[in-house]
Amino acid sequence: MDASRRSLLKAAAILLVDQWALSRTQASGLKPSSAAAKDERKVIVVACGGIRRAETFLDTGLGNIPHLYRELLPQSVFYPFIRNNGATSHYNTISSILTGNWQRLDDWGKTPPADPTFFEYLRKRMALSQDDAWVISSNKALTSRIGASSIRDFGPSYGANVIFPKQLLINAVIRAASQGHAEHSADRAAMQQELEAILQHADNYEGLGWSVSGEESFLDLRIERSMQQAIEDLVRTNAPVTGDEFTFLVSAEVMRRFAPSLMAITFSDVEVAHFGSYSMHVAGIRTMDRLVYELWNLVQSLPSYTGRTTLFVLPEFGRDFDGSNTNGFFNHRSIDDSTNLTWMMCLGEAARSPDVIQRPVQHIDLCPTIAGLFGIKGLDLPGKPLPGLSA
Amino acid sequence: MNEMPGITQNDSSSPDAYRHLIERLPVTLRPALNQQLTQWGMLFPFEQHTVGKFLKGVESFSPSALDALTAPLWALEKKMGVNHWNFSQASDTIENASQLARSEYYAEWRREVQRVFESVNAAARDAAPLQTESKRLILLFLPGNLPVNPQSVWKQWDPSGREIKISGNSGKFCELVTQGQPGLSGIATLAARKGTVDRSDIWFIDAEGRLSSLLSSLSHNAAASLSYTALKPFRDKFLAELNKAPKDIQATDEVISNLRLESWNGWDLWPPELANQPKLRKFVIDLFLSGNGAVIFSNSFVEWAAAEALRRARPRIVVARFGMRSKPKPFTSIAIFENQQRVSSLPDVDDPENSAIDALILARYVWLAASRYPERQQTFCLCVAEHGNSAYVIPPPGKTLSLSPEHPLGPEELYHWLGTQFLS
Repeated sequence: MDASRRSLLKAAAILLVDQWALSRTQASGLKPSSAAAKDERKVIVVACGGIRRAETFLDTGLGNIPHLYRELLPQSVFYPFIRNNGATSHYNTISSILTGNWQRLDDWGKTPPADPTFFEYLRKRMALSQDDAWVISSNKALTSRIGASSIRDFGPSYGANVIFPKQLLINAVIRAASQGHAEHSADRAAMQQELEAILQHADNYEGLGWSVSGEESFLDLRIERSMQQAIEDLVRTNAPVTGDEFTFLVSAEVMRRFAPSLMAITFSDVEVAHFGSYSMHVAGIRTMDRLVYELWNLVQSLPSYTGRTTLFVLPEFGRDFDGSNTNGFFNHRSIDDSTNLTWMMCLGEAARSPDVIQRPVQHIDLCPTIAGLFGIKGLDLPGKPLPGLSA
Repeated sequence: MNEMPGITQNDSSSPDAYRHLIERLPVTLRPALNQQLTQWGMLFPFEQHTVGKFLKGVESFSPSALDALTAPLWALEKKMGVNHWNFSQASDTIENASQLARSEYYAEWRREVQRVFESVNAAARDAAPLQTESKRLILLFLPGNLPVNPQSVWKQWDPSGREIKISGNSGKFCELVTQGQPGLSGIATLAARKGTVDRSDIWFIDAEGRLSSLLSSLSHNAAASLSYTALKPFRDKFLAELNKAPKDIQATDEVISNLRLESWNGWDLWPPELANQPKLRKFVIDLFLSGNGAVIFSNSFVEWAAAEALRRARPRIVVARFGMRSKPKPFTSIAIFENQQRVSSLPDVDDPENSAIDALILARYVWLAASRYPERQQTFCLCVAEHGNSAYVIPPPGKTLSLSPEHPLGPEELYHWLGTQFLS
């Protein structure tokens, strides 16, 4: 990505977080969290859509993941076999990771997880604020309900902030198109109008699918205009922009400003595979590889994170095998190792002794592992703490 | 076992005679069968044959034998709680699929369904054997403007095949296939000589308009011919309607159902080759509703249309030609499910390298789709990469290729060889 375009995306991300922080302060009368003051343990989970082992950690795929393979693998605890034994849809898989129980919910996020998420366990047991728990996602298949369960003693009061940065960009494009302004998507000034229309109206803000600041849904006008300016510049550039890039930049700003204890990031550029473009799918894998590397470097550079952060990276599942009756890489529906078996990498504080753990593990093992890292005990979960990690 | 005359004699008889048989089956087997009976007149001959054969198998079981066969599936449905689901028995829906897939018994359910189908089909097999002995051809074209890597182009392909080099203008081979050469007719005419009676027995599927432009009107009339380019007015309208579906499974099922039932005849959207072709129009609608990028990318359309044609019609010949796609446009590429020409006024720019990557794997997927069926035993596959004057030939199992990899063939020689294989 060229530097100018990246800087514009970055500006947009900064401003997005700024406006959220300001609106939250206005709404609650609370000061935003002081990142520098925090010294507790941090955990970041990055889930990156459906990616086959064949395109990543098998010989045929190593060229797609130079950063993961060359830079990060040697310093990680690596799990070459992690099995998704649940429903291999996005909402159910992310819910399963967050709750430590296989979730079997409406695939399109109509209902919240049926078991408490690790956000809820953490916030309730450690009396943490909502600033400490975030889900930042590119994936359209998720909804704001992903951040908290339907369990009475937990629920939204202990849930995470959930935001979908990519949806802001998508809404702007679709709005321009629906109003017959195709030229707007190629014109900075015109695109500004589309973004203004979305950001200035509470209804449209809620239409982005976010769940932040409790019930608040207003935006600060000063920040809103600044953000529009940044995105407007982005529109003017004549190069592709990816949702994951924007999701990463917003995540980075959240880390800088709020230093949440627990953050889940989901990337989804790879899901272009559903439309049958293998080249774009592989480009999505390469983007994910780069962004994870940048995220890890960011962790090393931020005082709130360095030396106290554990980062988990894993695909949600694989994709169907070439020749399957579900059309191969397009989908993730077949019941076999190509779809159900993938890999996971753990970096940082809990991965002080790099290793490759050959023993198969499961996606639902993350929740008890993360609970253990925060010293939370006594949870009755079906998964087991991951082997090979330091407490 | 018991035979009911009237149903078994004619696979294309009135579907109403079959409906009572479906009621004897477990609930989760009913939607697909009911949907096919409802659309009976829109089914291809092979589909009618398959459904008829399956139901013939069902009726051949005595009630007690059928109960015994399906008892494990009934029990599984009870454990899954199917009776408490919002489960459509009239047709396959996204919600049906979603409920099944998220059940903890999903894998077990699939195995049971497979077992029931195999048993029923086995019961019917002797009475209605499938005719699979005729020669089949899969012809795939990667156009000359797609720069495939000559070193690796066939690396992932079936090792039972072989690369052959084409001397001269390999682009001419496509003309010969469609138009023939002196002493050897085009492929559609050859198929007719071999006894092809239904147009669903030969398919021409094109990302652009090359095949259509080469085919004679006679061939058009004898074959199923689909062009992504020619379908543009219909695609645009269809995509606009599809994108109105809200993010809700039930509402989306309703939108899909309405789109399926819509006649689509009133807006002059269909290309001339689909005039008076209701089955093909229905095929296109079903194709677009089944996703897989068929309405978004031309090469996905070609692959998925070919795979679906193979599954539903089991044709003797599939000719599929891939093509160029445009580069994703700045900013709007994040909304790739939208009509890019509608959401951005920037001109389209070709993306040859990535189009070649996409086309190559999707061409292989067409071959893999063809390989799943019993007809594989009689199928020749030929994929031509015009850019590298190279082709890959996969013979039927047990057949030896008489072609020498050391000696390039001219397009005429290659077509002559192909015609010989098909006619022999």
